[in-house]
Amino acid sequence: METLTHILNGFNVALQPINLWYTFLGCFLGTVIGVLPGIGPSATIALLIPVTYGMNPTSALIMMAGIFYGARYGGSTTAILINTPGEASSVMTAIDGYQMAKNGRAGAALAISAIGSFIAGTIGIVGLTLFAVPLTSMALKFGPAEYFTLMFFAMTAVSSLAGKSPAKAMISTILGLMIATIGIDLQSGQPRYTMGVPELQDGVGFVIAVVGLFAIGEVFASMEDMTKGMRPEIIKLKGRIWLTREEWNRSVKPILRGSVIGFVIGVLPGAGGTIASIMSYVWEKRMSKHPEQFGQGAVEGVAGPESANNADTAGAMVPLLTLGIPGGGATAVMLGAFIMYGIQPGPLLFQNRPDLVWGLVDSMYIGNIMLLILNIPLIGIFVRLLYIPGGILMPLILAISTIGIYAINGNPVELYFGLVFGVAGYVFRKVDIPLAPMILSLVLGGIMEQSFRQAMTISGGNPKIFVGSTICVTLVALSVLSIFLPFILKRIEAMGARVGTR
Amino acid sequence: MASMADRVILVCTIIVAAIYFYATTLIPTLEIGDPLGPKAFPRLIGIVLLIGAAMLALEIWRERAKAAGKGAGVATFDPAVVKVLAVVVIWIGLYFATLERLGFVLATFAFLLPMMAWFNRGKWLVNALSAAAFSAMTYWLFVALEVRLPRGVLPF
Repeated sequence: METLTHILNGFNVALQPINLWYTFLGCFLGTVIGVLPGIGPSATIALLIPVTYGMNPTSALIMMAGIFYGARYGGSTTAILINTPGEASSVMTAIDGYQMAKNGRAGAALAISAIGSFIAGTIGIVGLTLFAVPLTSMALKFGPAEYFTLMFFAMTAVSSLAGKSPAKAMISTILGLMIATIGIDLQSGQPRYTMGVPELQDGVGFVIAVVGLFAIGEVFASMEDMTKGMRPEIIKLKGRIWLTREEWNRSVKPILRGSVIGFVIGVLPGAGGTIASIMSYVWEKRMSKHPEQFGQGAVEGVAGPESANNADTAGAMVPLLTLGIPGGGATAVMLGAFIMYGIQPGPLLFQNRPDLVWGLVDSMYIGNIMLLILNIPLIGIFVRLLYIPGGILMPLILAISTIGIYAINGNPVELYFGLVFGVAGYVFRKVDIPLAPMILSLVLGGIMEQSFRQAMTISGGNPKIFVGSTICVTLVALSVLSIFLPFILKRIEAMGARVGTR
Repeated sequence: MASMADRVILVCTIIVAAIYFYATTLIPTLEIGDPLGPKAFPRLIGIVLLIGAAMLALEIWRERAKAAGKGAGVATFDPAVVKVLAVVVIWIGLYFATLERLGFVLATFAFLLPMMAWFNRGKWLVNALSAAAFSAMTYWLFVALEVRLPRGVLPF
């Protein structure tokens, strides 16, 4: 009952004009960066952190969440019109969406991805609303050992699911943890790995790392494409952004299935939108009476994955808000933002700041309605962004990144750190080292070490504490399972391939 | 395919782990209160990094067994691209170096124009207008948002 009151009061917060404005701004920015290559939600949220210092944290977080789920809407637009996913999670949409566009059904593809995203996003938020509170009551039982094993699970899950090579993902995770150990150790006051550089005493700011890895690194990759003379072909948008009754009838079930898949995958750490949309695509193809149409412009192949990756954003908010543990890159950056505002997400936040939590959750309902409006009648405006030449856009993103890094402390030395991360991000991308695990562990590293040491202090140095409770044992078991998951998945894939050829 | 790159990653990972272990020994410790001290966690993740390197070695070994006889793979880095990007990185470095002295508006304009001239060749008017409008408008916007940007030599 009390919870219901909190949920309804959340709408009071979310409907305040100022928060409506920030919801809109977040959704708008999200759509824009979703459409634009070279900059994604993680980097955008990180860039906005310095701008939002003076703001009310609730408004700031509402805006950041808007960027996170708004980018998923925008990402489908580029997937459909230029066969390039604007965000990684739209990779499956490109397969059939682009074919639909080539067959003159671009309007229908855009409409179904917006409608599917809206329905799935809303279902996902209902799930978030329902599941958050039960999870917090469990999270209240968490001690340092439980938190440590939970973070350990999050990291193993992210590293086993990100990218093609589990070993490289693991290396990426550990590099993030290592960077997190740079700076003054909070418990002993000793400087670690600072090499006498004063700027490193407070550690490497994660904003610098995120902007470098995700924005500057991405710009270098785009510049490579431009140097090689690659130019995407843009399919002109003709006719109305709407779909036929037949297309709608074919899409309803994929949307509902995609919503469930996306939400569940979103709650689990590691997997994220890309995996959710791949799973939905595979599922729809399997369920379809006409699997041969997939890849030729099947509307189900757009409806399912686009729904899945939007329900995923709501699912991803569940562990972030209830446990304070993000499951991927963008939510890790949001956790960083929470911490910078002096707010620790987790079960206590639901008790102490119900206005913030539910204001944020309820703003997502409103944001999804705004995105539906932005993405159907107004999509033509965003499509124009695709015509900005990369040669102008990429230098501008570099300048924006410069502002973002400089604005944190006004220290030019940090700009060079950002540049180093940018070069590293580009090289890592080229050699297939995934970046999301590094960001996750960079943000979590400090907390992880603290809970490790606290747990060891409690147990008097006995590592058995990490298997000392049911929760710990379960989490350790899940971690071990997730380490072997890639091998199991490969087996399943191989089996699927055999079934497919039969 | 890119197993050459993977081998380089393997070597680099081991070097990073070695440096990290060495740097860990340099952390001064005072054994008060905290039984683990500031070195324990770094040692732990250093070991895990080596496990990661071992896993990578295993992956490389498996790939080699699979790809045997297929000939050399594609080069990961194209020298022409690397040259362009190296110049871009130096140019960004110069931008950072002059940012505070020249101020945001001038330094950004001076940074953007040649970059656009190179990557968006031949469109002088559009490039100049974009660079100028961006430099001036973002400065104005961020000052309005109370974000401190270097003013430099310009009087406003």
